[in-house]
Amino acid sequence: MTYFLYIGTFVLLLIFQTTIMPYFLLFDRFYDLLAPFVIYLGLFRSTRESIPTIIVFGFIMDNLSGGPLGLYLTTYLWLFAGVKLVITILRVRDNVLLPFVVAAGVLLENIIFMGTITMFESGSRFSQADFSTVAVQVLWALGTGPIFLILFNYLHQRWDQYFKEMFSPQKG
Amino acid sequence: MIPKKMVVIIGVIILIAANIIALSVTSRRHASFGSGRIALSFAAPFQKAVTRSIRFARGLWRHYFLTVSVAQESYKYKEAFGLAQQQNNQLGELKLTNVRLRSLLDFKKTMTNQVLAAEAIGKDPSQWYKTIIIDKGRDEGVAKGMAVVVPEGIVGQVMGVSAHYSKVLLIIDPNSAVDALAQRTRARGVIKGVSSGRCLFKYVLRKHDVGVGDRVVSSGMDGVFPKGLAVGHVAGVIRRSSGIFQEVTVTPFVDFEKLEEVLVVLSPPKH
Repeated sequence: MTYFLYIGTFVLLLIFQTTIMPYFLLFDRFYDLLAPFVIYLGLFRSTRESIPTIIVFGFIMDNLSGGPLGLYLTTYLWLFAGVKLVITILRVRDNVLLPFVVAAGVLLENIIFMGTITMFESGSRFSQADFSTVAVQVLWALGTGPIFLILFNYLHQRWDQYFKEMFSPQKG
Repeated sequence: MIPKKMVVIIGVIILIAANIIALSVTSRRHASFGSGRIALSFAAPFQKAVTRSIRFARGLWRHYFLTVSVAQESYKYKEAFGLAQQQNNQLGELKLTNVRLRSLLDFKKTMTNQVLAAEAIGKDPSQWYKTIIIDKGRDEGVAKGMAVVVPEGIVGQVMGVSAHYSKVLLIIDPNSAVDALAQRTRARGVIKGVSSGRCLFKYVLRKHDVGVGDRVVSSGMDGVFPKGLAVGHVAGVIRRSSGIFQEVTVTPFVDFEKLEEVLVVLSPPKH
């Protein structure tokens, strides 16, 4: 049942990111919405449950994007591993630290993308506008990232509770 | 001696008679005494206040109902106005779509190649790569490598195909390359995308004359894009003292943020 929730969430985020957001100038330089989702998995869910989800979603994203195949997949896996590492050192599940975790995740994703472009595309150069895009994305992540994490966590809890009540034996 | 009962009856009769006489006198003279003015001055302000209060309350009550009915009417008008505005917007949108489609149709007529109209339905999830998803795929005859154009110029080429959808690599993507030439001087080079949404006209020899504002068109030599399709205009030229090439920046004619309908060139260009 958890995977159905993940699929639903993924589809919603994907549609919002690729179809709805381009119509709004405000979201012109918004970050990848799947990044907070992967961070959520890293923070609150088990590795065994998260890895297949990340592989499937990363693969789909790779197929929708013009980047090299596997770029999203590896980025998400690195992001997940990074979050798992961080939670062994810091207590980041507290709401205070969440904005910084998402911002760091978005920054890491952009660094991986820029690194890939630099490595695989000869003569590639980054303009000031590119760095400004990264900065704006990080700022967006600082402001809105925790909202996504809290929302994902809340939805998951409600989802689990709903199915627990539905499948638990009737009392009395 | 006269009984007491009789005295009372006589007294009452005298009082009635005196009352009748007094009434008869006052009714004929219409007399006004000072006491009347005093009473009037005393009572009238209260009467006035009460009367006004009653009238105010009655007016308020009437106005309340009137306001309610006007408000209801206003809601009705607002609703009708909103609906009319919505219809107006829809008509405006239809008009714009009509203009766009007409321009696409006119352009289609000018193309010697067989083309297929498609709609852009999605954008690349990443900010670093520039692709779009269109609603035509293998079943409609689209294949990998086909050129995608609009009346303004070249959009890109198909890089992935499924049964009913295709992924198009835009010419502003860093992975894109279009063989092109400057229309005025026929200087040849390759149009490459850069992440900022502009293109670089690469490998243009230093000895060739390319100036700001020059139109850049496809050469047709890459086997993907038909010859003579508009790409963009030269926005900047840097000729360094060393090196064999000059650095030419090109601004595409196509506004990639507003892509809605595109044409897929089904038949390859003729050389």
